[in-house]
Amino acid sequence: MSRWSISGLASRLEGFTLGPIDLELPPGLPVAVLGRSGTGKTTLLRSVAGFVPTTGGRILRDGVDLVRFPPEERSVGYVPQGLGLFPHLSVEQNVRYPLDLRRVRRGTPERVRGLLRRFGLEALASRQPSRLSAGEAQKVALARALAADADLLLWDEPAHALDVEDRDELVRIFRELGREEGLGLLLVTHDPVLAFALAERFVVLSDGRVRFSGDARELIDRPPDSFSARFAGYENLYSRPRLEELGGGLAAWLLARSGPEGVAFPAPLLGRTDGLPGWEAEVEASRPGPEGTSVELSAGGLRLRARRSGLPEGNELRVGARVRFALDATSLRPLGGVPAERTGSAA
Amino acid sequence: MLEIVLSGSLLMLFVVPIVALLTFAPPSEIARVASEKGVETSLLFTVYASALAVAVALVLGVPLGYVLARRSFPGRSVVASVVALPVMLPHLLVGLGFLLLTLPGTPVHAWAEAARLPLVGSITGVVLVMVFVSAPYTVLASELSFRAVDPRLLEVSRSLGASRSSAFLTVTLPLAVRGIGAGLLLSWARAVSEIGGLLVLAYTIYPSGAYQGPVTSPISVYIYNLFELGNLKDAAAVSSLFLLIAFAVFLAVRLGERAGRLPWGRGELLP
Repeated sequence: MSRWSISGLASRLEGFTLGPIDLELPPGLPVAVLGRSGTGKTTLLRSVAGFVPTTGGRILRDGVDLVRFPPEERSVGYVPQGLGLFPHLSVEQNVRYPLDLRRVRRGTPERVRGLLRRFGLEALASRQPSRLSAGEAQKVALARALAADADLLLWDEPAHALDVEDRDELVRIFRELGREEGLGLLLVTHDPVLAFALAERFVVLSDGRVRFSGDARELIDRPPDSFSARFAGYENLYSRPRLEELGGGLAAWLLARSGPEGVAFPAPLLGRTDGLPGWEAEVEASRPGPEGTSVELSAGGLRLRARRSGLPEGNELRVGARVRFALDATSLRPLGGVPAERTGSAA
Repeated sequence: MLEIVLSGSLLMLFVVPIVALLTFAPPSEIARVASEKGVETSLLFTVYASALAVAVALVLGVPLGYVLARRSFPGRSVVASVVALPVMLPHLLVGLGFLLLTLPGTPVHAWAEAARLPLVGSITGVVLVMVFVSAPYTVLASELSFRAVDPRLLEVSRSLGASRSSAFLTVTLPLAVRGIGAGLLLSWARAVSEIGGLLVLAYTIYPSGAYQGPVTSPISVYIYNLFELGNLKDAAAVSSLFLLIAFAVFLAVRLGERAGRLPWGRGELLP
């Protein structure tokens, strides 16, 4: 169980500059790295793993700086997108690969058997990776990283191609490994369900720099940009230029509460007014679901998503129907920093 | 359906001249020439020289293929084009090029004299010509095979504890070996079938260096010689014998693969 921290880490790869990055990776506490494509998430993982030359900063494991260590001496388990299972080796050979490299003779078969048993892979021991399901392949990658005695996993898109059941099982396994073995986990993901189920901390990268660092509550409360807001579950996002272009009514009201980049808010509940500022809108589409009905509206040139508790009655939500919705100003999240103006009256 | 017709047309083009050759040389004739000492010596010499050429292609060509696939350096495209040059060059020019190198007064001639390794009429010359015309296939196949190995697998291997060389030996090489094998097989086929360069540089082979057997000729030159002398019957018989041997080698590789007895396991060797 090691304590990892990254301090002022900077690297440069093919014209892209990463950092400086500061991160704490306590044992057993997964950290999710989020951000749009090309913001440096994978470069960060590869820098920590030792595959991208760093131009500054430190990677500390229990106080020892690993920046000058070759990848094989860093005790990290790097799992790229696609998992990187060796296609020419069977499941068992993949898992025993790190032990064979270290020429560990004593106890190797027992260790490999133990890992295969732990992840329910015994029956697949002789199978080639190309014949595994996505969930099985994830477990093989995990078992192999544990065979290497990695104490920090760097995992790029762990939930890629997983179905819901496999993803839930992966979450359970990661939690167990964190709790019982103190395994650190730095994961890059585009899957909000996995991230919120697993990660204790969130780091949002933008242009190679940390734009946000905090826990789930902080990410939901103050998403730094539209990507993070969408990731956090905000269904309505508007950029500042779009609001400025529309002007008047709802757009002006939102503009007054938006940050430098725009504003985000969750789907308002139809039918709820409570003295809140309200607007009229036209129904464009509706979709019933177990949590109520999701409704797409058009109001003052803006398209927004709202919700109705329960299923609609009669033609209440037919396409073209007029409905009223209200917005609670406290549910609005300015994007990109402090709001331009916090005050403003209802439309 | 169209692809079957097109494939069949090409196969016919391959098979028809071979059938004509085999028809002209019945099995009894093939058996007769096979028992002739001169033919046996020439065949053994050719197999031996081509094996040396393939060994050189393996030792020098595979690393070059790796460098072209994995290293970035100024002039890489020029180097890659130079590798393809021997495939494009008329083969008589290859022999001529080597012959000009060995003219008295040249550094190569002086070095060959000092090392007692004559190029003209020797196994050294034969192997050099064979390497020249055949190694590009190994280089190109190796380059493509190394390029096809996902670099992320190497990173995973390193993070699991492999040094750079261990990652190469345990991941890159096993994944590229099938393509390399295909390149070596094609190189061997190209080496044994070479004639143009050998006519100029190694018409008759005298014992020297790595070959201390009787005076002979490479099998392609041997067949050409029979043809030049107007002995079409023997030329066809020796050609057929050579063809059967080459076919047997390719078939053995295919069957070995199917049985999973080659280092790259089950599957297809040739792309």
